[in-house]
Amino acid sequence: MASNAAVPFWRAAGMTYITYSNICANLVRNCLKEPHRSQSLNRETVHFAVSKWAAGQPEKPIFD
Amino acid sequence: MAMAALRREGRRCLSPLTSPNPIAAAAAAAVRSSLIAEEQAPCGVRSISTQVVRNRMKSVKNIQKITKAMKMVAASKLRAIQTKAENSRGLWQPFTALLGDTPSVDVKKNVIVTVSSDKGLCGGINSTSVKISKSLYKLNSGPDKETKYVILGEKAKAQLIRDSKKDIELSITELQKNPLNYTQVSVLADDILKNVEYDALRVVFNKFHSVVSFMPTVSTVLSPEVVERESEAGGEVGDLDSYEIEGGETKSEVLQNLAEFQFSCVLFNAVLENACSEQGARMSAMDSSSRNAGDMLDRLTLTYNRTRQASITTELIEIISGASALEG
Repeated sequence: MASNAAVPFWRAAGMTYITYSNICANLVRNCLKEPHRSQSLNRETVHFAVSKWAAGQPEKPIFD
Repeated sequence: MAMAALRREGRRCLSPLTSPNPIAAAAAAAVRSSLIAEEQAPCGVRSISTQVVRNRMKSVKNIQKITKAMKMVAASKLRAIQTKAENSRGLWQPFTALLGDTPSVDVKKNVIVTVSSDKGLCGGINSTSVKISKSLYKLNSGPDKETKYVILGEKAKAQLIRDSKKDIELSITELQKNPLNYTQVSVLADDILKNVEYDALRVVFNKFHSVVSFMPTVSTVLSPEVVERESEAGGEVGDLDSYEIEGGETKSEVLQNLAEFQFSCVLFNAVLENACSEQGARMSAMDSSSRNAGDMLDRLTLTYNRTRQASITTELIEIISGASALEG
């Protein structure tokens, strides 16, 4: 099994546990039957604006 | 939109009568209306114009309508979000049972995550979380220490930008455009983890107690290295060695995964609790402001009626004295 390796494959790919679990959760959502599938996919919308600060000044916000 | 309208109304009605004392207000109205009467009324009209008071009554009534509507909106939003927030408490409780909560831990790199709202008109919840964050900053600052802010929400950003903009590392806004969900918050937590270096993350938020009360709360998430160090030193962190680890993963790997997942769960709960407190605080703020608008309306009605009665009395006296002058 891949997860038995010294470093799990997803961490070797530069993912955090959160990214990994989100991808897994999304896979499960995609496996649902139709009314529930679109419902659960619509529920989990991601939207926010992040701006990094450098030397007391905000940089341009990045939208996710 | 409602807020913009409210602001406009407020500006319009601030100017004419700001005195809470009805008699002084009446005097002010009299002074003002005599000034206006010279411009608008035809020459020789001596009655006192009640136009100003009437306009003000109308605007206060409109403000009251708006605040009442905002209260209803906040109440319905609160109901939707309250169950979510209460359910999300189950996410962090196992972590606290396993790792304990260690707000007093002393580490080098501190990151303070301040949770606040994007919109105003919700009482003091944003200033309390900013105040707690600032005192945490003072507690954790030292010669070889580094403390940074990560800010969620527009309002805390506006407050922290004034005196500690050098220490802001990240700011996140527009979180509440869509209904809050775990995926969103976990992606956000991931972004924070990728962009800051930390030994301890301190999440500051307002925990929801009831519609009228909220508690400023700090939850601490330690980095895996610190957890390992603390558990070896036999500190406050729970006894991890009594747990059996499945699979081929080492303890440090498990701890790293655990710390990441813990942060996303804690942040999810914090964002929900804060949103819930925000709606509750907005509800009570709007309730008291509609009550105040009602009080003001009562005072203005009194002033209006008094002025009207005075002008009627003056007219009557004029008529009667004119008639008696003709008779006599």
